[in-house]
Amino acid sequence: MLQFLIRRSVASLIIIFLATTLVFLIIHLLPGDPVILLLGEQGAANPEFVDKLRKKLKLDLPLHIQYYEWMKGLSHFDFGNSLQNDVPVIQELVRRIPRSLELIFGGLLISILVGIPIGVLGAEHPNGLWGWISSTFAVLGFSSPSFVTGIVLIIIFSLSLRFLPSSGYVSFSENAMENLRYAFLPSITLGFGFVGVVIRMTRASLLDVINKDYIRTARAKGLSEKGVLYKHALPNALIPVISILGVRAGNLLGGTVIIESLFNWPGLSSLLVKGCFDRDYPMIQGTLLSIFVIFVLISLCVDLCHALLDPKLRQEY
Amino acid sequence: MGGPIILLLLMMALLSHEFSPADPLKINSRNILKSPSRENLLGTDQLGRDILSRIIYASRISFSVAGAAVLIAVLVGVFLGLLLGYFEGWLQNIGMRVIDILVCVPEIFIAIVVVAFLGSSLMTLILTIGFLYFPQFTRVTQGITLSMKRREFILASVSVGAGTYRIIFRGILPNISSLVIVQTSFTLSFAMLLEAGLSFLGLGIMPPTPSWGQMIGELKNYIYINPLPVIFPAIALFLAVFSINMVGDWLQDRLNPEIIK
Repeated sequence: MLQFLIRRSVASLIIIFLATTLVFLIIHLLPGDPVILLLGEQGAANPEFVDKLRKKLKLDLPLHIQYYEWMKGLSHFDFGNSLQNDVPVIQELVRRIPRSLELIFGGLLISILVGIPIGVLGAEHPNGLWGWISSTFAVLGFSSPSFVTGIVLIIIFSLSLRFLPSSGYVSFSENAMENLRYAFLPSITLGFGFVGVVIRMTRASLLDVINKDYIRTARAKGLSEKGVLYKHALPNALIPVISILGVRAGNLLGGTVIIESLFNWPGLSSLLVKGCFDRDYPMIQGTLLSIFVIFVLISLCVDLCHALLDPKLRQEY
Repeated sequence: MGGPIILLLLMMALLSHEFSPADPLKINSRNILKSPSRENLLGTDQLGRDILSRIIYASRISFSVAGAAVLIAVLVGVFLGLLLGYFEGWLQNIGMRVIDILVCVPEIFIAIVVVAFLGSSLMTLILTIGFLYFPQFTRVTQGITLSMKRREFILASVSVGAGTYRIIFRGILPNISSLVIVQTSFTLSFAMLLEAGLSFLGLGIMPPTPSWGQMIGELKNYIYINPLPVIFPAIALFLAVFSINMVGDWLQDRLNPEIIK
């Protein structure tokens, strides 16, 4: 088990390292002179301004020196300063990352809490009402773009019922209850897109497991149907569901982009979009890198859970 | 079931001129954010433009961007997949690993950064989206090619002296077509969603050219004034994506019955 942990962690570190290089390359190899873009037409006409800004951004140094500076900065978590207000990028990142994580976590929670029971019911009554409900729900969830779900939810809950706010954010430390109120709709929207996957996977996997021999044995031993379900079938059936979660973690992370914009939730993805509009290069670099790192870490966590639940995986290593 | 919807949407896209009741670009500042009425069947947007017409013209843009992008993704991806799958060697191994990594990357982030820097011309959008989705095709193709390579009919071709080109294109390609077709339909809906997402954020199709995502993005700010306008492009987008997925599911069932969903 420890070996597996070490191997996966090392692999993740390598990927993170590659990601830092990739981010650097993306930013610096894209065409368009950042200095000209930042100064605008009038500023760019003045060669003195251009030179000063170039020096300030360290863009006059050769590429590999810039790369070295970037990596050096990363080693002590210095992502440079924002071009908008000269505040260290890392400051804003630290503020915003937990907010995005909150939405992702909320979405995951909702999709699991709703998806697994529906999937189980769908598997138990494949041709009955629940079977139909689970399939339809799954397809709806899978097909609804997040904007559509989000807007429908906003119209129902914020506009008509005036029950939940449609945008904004209150930090947890300020007011936990308010924070959850603001997070509720975005999390449901994020979860809704994912719940379809969970339902389908749970249902298919449970149907698969129910026919296995060890379930027959458990029943033959006299275990009640519920006992069979909860103690033997379900835990085994959930394993593929968890592995799907890992694969689709990227989808959830990507989903935050639309959702944060729709609900004005000040998280990591909206920081990226803002940085792109402002042409704030250090910010874009830092945000993009954080996104990749979070993605790798989520995959790592899911793999670990997967290995914990499925001893077969551990033996491979 | 998705078929009829798709056909209707496609017809709408191709015959936009005939279908749309008004000029999608015509601004009318005295008539903004109106609910559906006799003149404007689906209401007007924040600049007074007729929403129904804009939705119809937007279908053109959404389908063409998604379609062109997927075309690029298929051509590049399948070609690369065939090469990586058929020829062996350390280069191919590295290639496969790279593709594996590329498949995992969440596309929208790269798309945002690239489009923010390179501008949102139609060409840039199509190329970006196309290149973001080709790894999926490569992976599918290379997997199949690898397993196909060892099958008897391929070995038979080789022993008869068939050239590499012939084996790849006449032997392997026809057999992967069903998988590629299914993958294409799903990628089409992803590409459409990606374009809608970019336009929603203000980075994709720029006004005044209409796109469903862009309309949603603009109209969402006026929900409290009038929630109806924003619903219509949202429904249009949903119908398009939903019907493409339905068709994809159906194709999956028809062509690849043995593959578990």
